[in-house]
Amino acid sequence: MNVRALDDHLKEMVLALHAAVNRAIPHINDDPALVDQALRDCAEILDVVLDGNVAEWLGSEGPA
Amino acid sequence: METPFTDTIESADVAKMPAEYQSLLKRVLAIQADCEIGGPHLYVRNILPAAPSKVDALIVARTAAEEADHYRKVARLAGEIGEDVSGLLSRPNRERYVNAFRGTITSWEEFAVFGFLIDRVGRYQLEEFTSCSYAPLERLLPDVINEELGHIDYGHTKTAEFAARGGHTRERVQGVIDAWYPKALDMFGNTNSRRSERYRHWGLKRRTNAQARAEYMREVDPLIRAMGLSVPDPNVGREFV
Repeated sequence: MNVRALDDHLKEMVLALHAAVNRAIPHINDDPALVDQALRDCAEILDVVLDGNVAEWLGSEGPA
Repeated sequence: METPFTDTIESADVAKMPAEYQSLLKRVLAIQADCEIGGPHLYVRNILPAAPSKVDALIVARTAAEEADHYRKVARLAGEIGEDVSGLLSRPNRERYVNAFRGTITSWEEFAVFGFLIDRVGRYQLEEFTSCSYAPLERLLPDVINEELGHIDYGHTKTAEFAARGGHTRERVQGVIDAWYPKALDMFGNTNSRRSERYRHWGLKRRTNAQARAEYMREVDPLIRAMGLSVPDPNVGREFV
């Protein structure tokens, strides 16, 4: 297992989740479409995280 | 009598440590990683789409993001000492190390109580590593514990809101407390655990299982009563006593 590559990949997904949440929070009352899109983004990213297909995630990043 | 290990070591020192230390360190990191990612596996797919408001849904997403990040940090530590825990990301819930993570959370009341009771146990588990012998683990703690405090506070607030509604809602949340309280107490492990003693010998944990469990009960029982709910019998429904 390439520990560094997995760490980097997970960090990117976590940052993307936080970005989606932070994008939506200020607009919770004035832009329902933006909030809905952020929630769809979160659900999609979390699906990928929980599927945990590490081999697929790291497949293009070369050997350890 | 064996002298307790009181030094602090870094990852480069692990290979020089006795096999027992290496084994216990790998085990505790694997269990911690399993619990961190086990939470989102319990609730994300059922609870995120069913959140009562968009704010609540965003809080669920943020909570899951933070737990995934905790997993990442612990998995990195495990990987640095040769323990590959990447398989835990996709492990079926029924195979989780800790019983509390082996089912699914299907109601909003359960999600609230999970934060109130189980994330609080998580905080206790993390606090075991305060001043522990493995310095890289201790360095993770401030940020991770701070985020767990947010999850606990949210769970506490939501549980109290449900209890305050009275009627069937209050009955439902009492039922959820009754179901999760014994799981929370079991998370501290057997009172007479030999492994717990060895963790303390090697400076990887601070308290006995019974001490940590008793402190937890002293903290959480008054909070349950303050919501007007009943504290379940601590001897009912237990797997480990």
